[in-house]
Amino acid sequence: MPWFERWLGYAAPIGHGLLTTAALSAVAIAMGFAVAIALHLTRTRTRGPLPARGLVGVYVSFFRGTPLLVQLLMLFYLPAAFGLDLNPWLAAGLVLALNSAAFQSEILRSGFEAIPVAQLEAARVFGLSERQMFRHIQLPQVLRLTFPALVNEAVDIIKGSAVVSVLAIADLMRVGKQLVAVSYRPLEVYLAIALAYLVLTTLVSWGAARLVRARSTGAAA
Amino acid sequence: MNPDLIIEILPAFLRAAWLTLWLSVLAIALAAVLGFGLNAALQLAPRVTPLYRTIVWVVRGTPFLAQLFVLYFGLPQIGLAMDAITAAVVGLAIYGSAYFAEIFRACWQSIPRGQVEAGRVFGMSRLAILRHIEWPQAGRLAIPMLVNQAILVLKESSVVSIITVPELTMTAGTVVADTFSYLEPYLLLGLIYWLMALALASLGRATERLIALTPSPKA
Repeated sequence: MPWFERWLGYAAPIGHGLLTTAALSAVAIAMGFAVAIALHLTRTRTRGPLPARGLVGVYVSFFRGTPLLVQLLMLFYLPAAFGLDLNPWLAAGLVLALNSAAFQSEILRSGFEAIPVAQLEAARVFGLSERQMFRHIQLPQVLRLTFPALVNEAVDIIKGSAVVSVLAIADLMRVGKQLVAVSYRPLEVYLAIALAYLVLTTLVSWGAARLVRARSTGAAA
Repeated sequence: MNPDLIIEILPAFLRAAWLTLWLSVLAIALAAVLGFGLNAALQLAPRVTPLYRTIVWVVRGTPFLAQLFVLYFGLPQIGLAMDAITAAVVGLAIYGSAYFAEIFRACWQSIPRGQVEAGRVFGMSRLAILRHIEWPQAGRLAIPMLVNQAILVLKESSVVSIITVPELTMTAGTVVADTFSYLEPYLLLGLIYWLMALALASLGRATERLIALTPSPKA
């Protein structure tokens, strides 16, 4: 088979794998953000005894201190020890989301800490409720401040998601293994896979940078 | 949970943790040297800027697993075969070097040129400027970032289990296959990585304190 026909044959499976990886990462990042907000609120809003805040600390420390692959294996196989078989897709999405939540909550924390206390005091004087303050004063500023860091985290999740291929999920990395099994040309296949990841991560960071620029010039006008 | 089983499997885990540790330390050291070299090349020869940017873009924009597969499965196709452990160390070193280079670059750029010029005006030698002006500030700035990056490399090293390096993560799999129990091996696996990362982090904090205690030349 001539080389261009072979390469053309790679395009469809790689495109499919790329979409799978992108979708899985997008779901994980969105879910992770929701969990991160919940973690942050638990850490800052709960009063009284420590347990809830302590648990959040342990959660964040564990998910930041252990490898993603290990977290994946633990979440997939530990329920099996109790006779509970988890769907690989569910396990993969859940682990990526839980992992990202830990990192995102740390990013959000630095964002919330960057808002001057005087703003919140002023808001309280004007009679805003905690919820209104969160929604209209804290969150918009925190999102703007932490957006670059959150985009970095999104890129990390896209890259990290490659390890879910060990659970036989047909993501981009898995597609590479399948193509190698057919073509016996690991070098070009894995280079193509790496290139596909590079396209995805570059698009995400480039799109995010454009968005920031568009918003900042819009605000100045 | 079965405590007897944990005692039974612990030696295998500790041996594997030792492999994970020296593999990672070797890769971190190589990555730091490579990263330092990359940044030095960038600072001394601005012509290499496009090359530097390309390396950093490609290494940081692709998953370590994909890089490892190119190294371990791809390169033998052009006659460059490595055993799994070599591929693991080389892969981790290349992966880490791009991040280390960016850390060194950030620290280097953080020192205002005016300080170096002022030092020269006062008749300090280049070495004295490096020793008393640049290094104390850049080092203080770099250490938290370097330690953070070292922890990331340690964690990433679990991925080399996929190319059958018998380190910690792969050992958990073999122990599971031998003992038919999932619970103890996987709990132990998570715990050992966690402890290693925490130990590395507190080592970093201790170093930071040590540096903060040494008198700075500002007095």
